[in-house]
Amino acid sequence: MKKYAVLTNDMQVAFANKHEERRDAVQNFLPGFLKFINSMRSHGIPIIHLQLVISDDDPRSKENYGPFPPLVEGSKGVQILPELWDEKDTIVVKNKDSGFFETDLDEKLKELGVDTLIISGMQTQICVQTTAADAHFRGYNVIVPPETVTSTRGEDTKRSLEWMESYCAKIIPSQEIISKFAQNEDI
Amino acid sequence: MTENNAIILDHGAGGLLSKKLLDDIIIPILEPVYLGKMEDSGIISLNGSQVAITTDSFVIDPIFFRNGDIGKLSVCGTVNDIAVSGAKPECISLSYILEEGFPIDKLRKITESIVTTCQEASVSIIAGDTKVVGKGEADQIYINTTGFGTFSSDRSPLSLSKISDNDDVIVSGHVGNHGIHILSMREGLGFESRVLSDCAPLNKAIQAILGKYGDDIHYIRDLTRGGLGSIFNEISNDTQKNITLKEADIPLQHETVMAAEMLGVSPLYLANEGNICIMANPRITESLLQDLQAMEYTKHAALCGKVYKSEDPKVLFQQEDGTLSILDFLKGAELPRLC
Repeated sequence: MKKYAVLTNDMQVAFANKHEERRDAVQNFLPGFLKFINSMRSHGIPIIHLQLVISDDDPRSKENYGPFPPLVEGSKGVQILPELWDEKDTIVVKNKDSGFFETDLDEKLKELGVDTLIISGMQTQICVQTTAADAHFRGYNVIVPPETVTSTRGEDTKRSLEWMESYCAKIIPSQEIISKFAQNEDI
Repeated sequence: MTENNAIILDHGAGGLLSKKLLDDIIIPILEPVYLGKMEDSGIISLNGSQVAITTDSFVIDPIFFRNGDIGKLSVCGTVNDIAVSGAKPECISLSYILEEGFPIDKLRKITESIVTTCQEASVSIIAGDTKVVGKGEADQIYINTTGFGTFSSDRSPLSLSKISDNDDVIVSGHVGNHGIHILSMREGLGFESRVLSDCAPLNKAIQAILGKYGDDIHYIRDLTRGGLGSIFNEISNDTQKNITLKEADIPLQHETVMAAEMLGVSPLYLANEGNICIMANPRITESLLQDLQAMEYTKHAALCGKVYKSEDPKVLFQQEDGTLSILDFLKGAELPRLC
């Protein structure tokens, strides 16, 4: 059987509330996303949250995140969404788009013996996509369930899923993954 | 701000606006004292000997990348500009502009990299300058290098005027890798370990092929700022000839295509820092390709086009199904601060 892990991207308070369109997009996908994550937890699959933390000298620190301060260390905005967080989960802090860029994610996954990554979160066309490409280059099998990724604009997710399917990932519906795991089958 | 009243980033991208800035503003003012031909190196005669001179400033961000840094780049860029003129690079000058607060250990590392690259290229540093500006008045470090090269007695400078109808067009390496590598380093996109910069001194490879093929090599140009697309347009414009490229034959790394598609940019307009195009007599092409492919920095060399006589010069791009389209000048900046 393959050894799986789920990566979530940027599921953080400030990102989820950046503006009204983003809030709507996140609220629409969150119930299904949480159901999927809880199902994965029930099968003992490690959940690793990639948490974007940016430094004061990063131009993105000047961006507006609605009611929240920029994604700087220690702020409320930088926290993983409380409804998603479980104390058995792992957090990997990153400073750039890909979860592998100058982080210990690769080492952590190797320690766990993981060979297949289920990549989720937001936004599809930025952090999900770059992490998927990076994982593919590092030799991981990459799966992206389309219902577990989101973008402010739906067309960005659509285009990004097409790109990932053509280059680096299998796009498999979340329900199919849940069903396979329920039958103890590989995906 | 518009291009009409102030400098914008696109003026520095090597595309159409860079050309307009030079043609409309800078060159007309310099005209009383300007002797250059707008090629990579200027050629002057000193005591009966021809000397190639070039100068370049390097402002790349980030200053360290996976397989190089601003120091290596500042040597390679200038050495390659001299080498493509047909001259043997002999020496360079080196000027630093340093931002207050720049760490000494980074300056040391960059300077050591300059030494290593100079040694590989067999060039000396003969003059230098160091300036420091206040915090925020520059971004860490900028470097300017000026290069000097000499011609052997049996070789005249390569120039656009030597390009002939029916010349083959050879590109020496994967196109667009430097641009994708730097952008991936900048943004952490995940391509930085798979797509490396091509930054390398090419002078020894160029000297080797010029030594063997002599006058059958008509022109060489490095495909730096503005990339293959802009530079072939410049060549076509300046020679009044068509250049037809076959899409399938342009050397492109799979991951570079992948990244470019993701970013919505064309690798054909991205800067390269160790990649040249060669216009050559077709009778030497097969042998020349074998020689290039046997050398480390030119091992991905490929024949990818041809020069044709034309009354309406342009760069044509032949797709795999035979369809011809125009490969135009880059209008703005694909990506800033790549070199």
